[in-house]
Amino acid sequence: MSIVDLTSMAEAQAELRKEINARLAKLQNESSEYCFQCAKCTAGCEAHKLLELEPHKIVALLKRGLIDEMVNSDVIWTCMSCFKCWERCPQKVAPVEILNALKNMAVASGKQIPGKYTAMLQSVLSICLIQDVQEVTTHEGKTMKRDTLGLPPLSKPTDASKFQMVLTKLAVEKI
Amino acid sequence: MKKYALYPGCLMPTEQYAYELSLREVFPLLDVELVDVDGFSCCGEPLKSINKMMTLYLAARNLAIGEKQGLDLFVPCPMCHFSLSECKHVLKSNKEMRDKINSMLASEDLTYKGTAGLVHTVDLLHDIIGVEEIKNRVKNPLKDLKLATHYGCHLLRPSEIGRPVDSENPQKMEAVLDALGAKCSFYPEKLDCCGAPIDANLPESALTKTGQKLQAIQDHGFDAIVDVCPWCHKMFDSRQSKAGETVAAKLDIPVLYLTQWLGLALGVKKEKLGLHLNSSPVDKLELK
Repeated sequence: MSIVDLTSMAEAQAELRKEINARLAKLQNESSEYCFQCAKCTAGCEAHKLLELEPHKIVALLKRGLIDEMVNSDVIWTCMSCFKCWERCPQKVAPVEILNALKNMAVASGKQIPGKYTAMLQSVLSICLIQDVQEVTTHEGKTMKRDTLGLPPLSKPTDASKFQMVLTKLAVEKI
Repeated sequence: MKKYALYPGCLMPTEQYAYELSLREVFPLLDVELVDVDGFSCCGEPLKSINKMMTLYLAARNLAIGEKQGLDLFVPCPMCHFSLSECKHVLKSNKEMRDKINSMLASEDLTYKGTAGLVHTVDLLHDIIGVEEIKNRVKNPLKDLKLATHYGCHLLRPSEIGRPVDSENPQKMEAVLDALGAKCSFYPEKLDCCGAPIDANLPESALTKTGQKLQAIQDHGFDAIVDVCPWCHKMFDSRQSKAGETVAAKLDIPVLYLTQWLGLALGVKKEKLGLHLNSSPVDKLELK
């Protein structure tokens, strides 16, 4: 079932809509209210071609306040952050930022985070990077790492515990 | 001699060694000193879907470390460059957010002021070193090569936050490659995504995107691809054969970082540029 079918049954959530709009104003000085549904965003959308994301409908649903419908949908996780929607919008709306807000809301409300995002977050919390040094294989079949390739050690926070403390606090913060 | 703090990010220093090896090799040859600075962390961009406040904090933190050194940052990864640029853009107009972030940065004895500049590989070569200067240093011109450039979404858009290249008709890589003796031409899929950003949660779809773009480039008759992003390169180079399976095509196109092409033209040995680490068929090019 697509987003559109579900929304016909849903009620508008004015408070959540206000929350998202306040966030957009803080970040990009943008207002989704200016969207006039030209669908230029969807015309260029990289995820539309492959995964049927329709950014102009996301903006339309936000304007109607049908937030839960989107937060509960997998479709918000198909955005490829190519930023064509933001770049090409004649009204300076950034659907990609609306999608980020919706994904953040989904995470904050305790929904399961898809794919490797949790692993990346855990990695940043423990080693400050999304992954540790990986082994690679040369054309001759030799296994190499940073040190054997002659590269200097990784740059990392000098006091990891202070770094982790702030990040853990931030995990529950909102914009 | 120009001097920059090298901000490595995550993917390049933990996996995409060919990019790091080649840029550490070529920039000193062009009178640019790259300084290694301790203390950096993830730029925050990969965590944007989870919590954007975290992204902004991490970006500001890395910028603050650069500021402390009194150096501008050289950021070779477009994802990191995007994250840091967006942070600067947001914090410039939002004092409340800046104060909030600074109060948290205080625990690591850091302050964000917004004074550090940012450069990426492409604008460092094109705008700061300059095409003429590069042309004068070429020893082995890249003759008879028809190359497809791929800039990567995060480097191109959105122009509102300030990007190093034109969002709809980027030409800086073309100008640099022209100076190296290679020929680039336009192709309709030039601005399309490599697929990497959804690799975390929809890996099959990500590979399909990669396969579609690679197949198009191959069908247009290009000899090889030039990229400047460790994420795009991971998809195009390391995962090329897998991407071919998604579009039922035999993909067989060499993919090299711009800094690797540059090194070759400047007469640097292949191993020093990490060419023995590229998984795509680079031997096919019979490079010296």
